[in-house]
Amino acid sequence: MTLAHYIALGAVLFVIGIFGALTRRSVIGILMSIELMFNAANINLAAFNRYLHPEGVAGQAFALFIMTVAAAEVVVGLALVLAIYRNWDKTYMENINLLKG
Amino acid sequence: MMEQIAFYSMAGLAVVSALAVVTLRNTVHCALFLGLSLAGVAGIFGVLGADFLFASQILIYVGGIAVLMIFAVMLMGRASDLTLRQVNQEWLAALLVCAITAAGLLRGAKAYLGSVAAGAPAPSTKPLGRLMLGDYVLPFELISLVLTAALLGAIFFTRKETLPSGGGK
Repeated sequence: MTLAHYIALGAVLFVIGIFGALTRRSVIGILMSIELMFNAANINLAAFNRYLHPEGVAGQAFALFIMTVAAAEVVVGLALVLAIYRNWDKTYMENINLLKG
Repeated sequence: MMEQIAFYSMAGLAVVSALAVVTLRNTVHCALFLGLSLAGVAGIFGVLGADFLFASQILIYVGGIAVLMIFAVMLMGRASDLTLRQVNQEWLAALLVCAITAAGLLRGAKAYLGSVAAGAPAPSTKPLGRLMLGDYVLPFELISLVLTAALLGAIFFTRKETLPSGGGK
């Protein structure tokens, strides 16, 4: 196993996340794709930590911070989606176009 | 040899379930496959020897975020969602964007083909704790502030709009 394997895995997961965020119609599907992208970044951080700086754990600490921020992001995001659903009864992205002009 | 088997099985699990997340029509299945994909990433952390990340990935992502997603899907789902297409019209352009991005990222990954790990991985929980309460104590405290703000924001956005009883409005 070389570092390139892990970076390639992270790249593939990230690209799948981009594809989901660009093409899903429901807001929850987009949030799920964003979680996939966060995970790809975490794989890269942990892999760089293991292969290039094995004497420290700074990469893993950053991955932990990203996990926390992702948790906060998904909590607030789902709360917003729930509020939109309650007030306007909409869950698909193309229907949420109040500011489109 | 053992490392190869673990890496390829966990990477395959993560990638195949991630593909299921972005392509399936039933959003409940998507949320379940998201949990599976996150578990595969946890396995990758295990292969990398990041034991604390492995545990927290299971705790936070699989046990927290995936379950939260399933709850949200069940709160907001409708029976008609199963018959509508869940992918918008621009999937061809998105595929193009993804192909270009993947080509660039994989080209960057090729530079590290000769990089191999030095020695066996060491346990990381104790150094992580020392780092969090030593050099990184300020970001550590800031992240707790972020979590508190997220909690308050979630409560603020989801509460019912109730008029104060006995008030003038």
